[in-house]
Amino acid sequence: MKNILVIFQKEMLDNLRDTRSWMTGFFWLLFGPLLFGGMIVMLGNTFKESTEKPLSLPVLGVEHAPNLIKFLEQQNVIILPAPADLQAAVIAGDINVALIIPENYGEDFSAGETAAVQLVFDSTRQSAIVDIERAKNVIQSYSRYIGVLRLSLRGVSPEVMSVIQIEEMDTATPQSQALIFLSMLPYFIISAIFNGASPVIIDATAGERERGSLEPLLINPLSRSWVVIGKLLSAMPFAIITLLITLGGFAAVFQILPIEELLGIQIGFNLSTLFSIFLICLPIVFIACAIQTLIASYAKTTKEASTYLPFVSLILALPGMALAFLPVKPELWTMLIPTFGQQILINQFLRAEPISGMNIFISALATILISLVITFIAVKLYEGERIITGK
Amino acid sequence: MIQVQGLSKSFGKVKAVQEVSFSAPDGEITGLLGPNGAGKSTTLRMLYTLLKPEGGTAKVDGFDVTESPVEVQKRIGVLADARGLYLRLTSRENIRYYGRLHGLEGEQLEKQIDSLLVLLDMQHIADRKTEGFSTGEKLKVAIARALVHNPKNILLDEPTNGLDVMSTRAMRQFVLRLREEGKCVLFTSHIMQEVAALCNQIVIIAKGKVSANGTPEELRKQTGKETLEDAFVAAIGSEEGLG
Repeated sequence: MKNILVIFQKEMLDNLRDTRSWMTGFFWLLFGPLLFGGMIVMLGNTFKESTEKPLSLPVLGVEHAPNLIKFLEQQNVIILPAPADLQAAVIAGDINVALIIPENYGEDFSAGETAAVQLVFDSTRQSAIVDIERAKNVIQSYSRYIGVLRLSLRGVSPEVMSVIQIEEMDTATPQSQALIFLSMLPYFIISAIFNGASPVIIDATAGERERGSLEPLLINPLSRSWVVIGKLLSAMPFAIITLLITLGGFAAVFQILPIEELLGIQIGFNLSTLFSIFLICLPIVFIACAIQTLIASYAKTTKEASTYLPFVSLILALPGMALAFLPVKPELWTMLIPTFGQQILINQFLRAEPISGMNIFISALATILISLVITFIAVKLYEGERIITGK
Repeated sequence: MIQVQGLSKSFGKVKAVQEVSFSAPDGEITGLLGPNGAGKSTTLRMLYTLLKPEGGTAKVDGFDVTESPVEVQKRIGVLADARGLYLRLTSRENIRYYGRLHGLEGEQLEKQIDSLLVLLDMQHIADRKTEGFSTGEKLKVAIARALVHNPKNILLDEPTNGLDVMSTRAMRQFVLRLREEGKCVLFTSHIMQEVAALCNQIVIIAKGKVSANGTPEELRKQTGKETLEDAFVAAIGSEEGLG
């Protein structure tokens, strides 16, 4: 038993001296919170721009439709002179949407026929969609307005035109859109745990084999289980530190950015939430270390191991990413899946939803039990001859 | 004291070791001589408990390698074929790690490390990280950590491989010294001269089998050859692997 401590201490010393490796790891950690912060700022700005700013609309042929232009201006649309090559400007992204009023507009309009105008836009440009919709709507409302006037002149009730009226009741608020986005946060947290542990584990397992130091190590009078457990434990402090730094980074981003102003919501990310998320993630630290120890022990070289491990973290963290688009209710079965249950719980914390203590307990227990099984398999692997012969 | 009786091991269809028997008494140097791939390392690996024999038995000081591996591990010091060090640790830290795994601690351990550093003439590299060490320096660290628990039986797998002339000489002196201390030394080599110069007893292995066994004198008589080199060639049946 004491040998677990001996192995743990040696691996800690060895890995702490590998300064370059863990420093690089920590720099990567800042990536998550920074990316997240950047996305929040961008999202917030799109919200604001689209709703508050008046629509700028370059128009070609202003002189053909003075009344339409007047109407647009009344609707808070800023009419701009159109550039020489309208289509090129739209393709280049300089203009989101532009209006072309043809020469025969006036003729058709006066004759009471359907007058055509053209909107030029690129529908694949996400940032332009709001402007395009606004331009369409405002022109259509002019069309409706004139149509109603014409019917009234002929003594027909305008209601004849609208057989069905759709009343939209969209329950989505800007808040819930922002919350979808928030669901991606657990993904970052969980990948950070895996990434924090992996360099240490690769060095202690595949690295030990590659260096040729595994064979002499195993000749020492100690149980192979202590070897595995000692190595696994030595990765945990690194995973925990990574987790703390990531949570701290997110807390800092949420503190610095005016989230409420940007997204119109408050994120539950105070100190007690932070601590709860930390506790929920501790079983993930265990499973991240266990599963990576098992897989890296199969690899013969550190290079081989470092191609496998990122996939493991991706596979385990990805279901949480899907939660952003397909919300799952925190039912019992979800809690039985390691990392998935925790991702749901973290989301609940962030949304300040009521959380069942039972769910927290079950998710922790399930994850720990599965981690123990994985550790047991890793021990069995170390007890076999394959670990020596590589066959 | 090492006793090997009918030891066999195969990997898939390859019979690496077949019915190997010999014994290595205390206070003597026993050499396992044979060309590359003859099964020397596999035999040694079974002796130091990392591979399980398929047939036969191997005992160290009376303890069976399969039945009580931990007792065997306590009684052997091994320079394995793989002799990797921890490059970010110093020589002393490398040796200390193995000492602690053998349950040694504190002053007793530090004293033992110091005496090994003197014995192997490596005080000047004691507190340097082993990264960038020469082959000879790395070997010294590997030997020191293998002997940190002062084992009675010492297994050395090709100990002079890759060493320059001076280091080889020093290594041979060291092996002779171990014999003087009454240890049971078993080492493998494919270099005939080395085995002839050091060993009380030679076990010649070829294609996984013992083809001759005895003192240098006995080997010459058995094969009816004048020199040990001819005796070796006669025993393995070819000139393959002569160094």
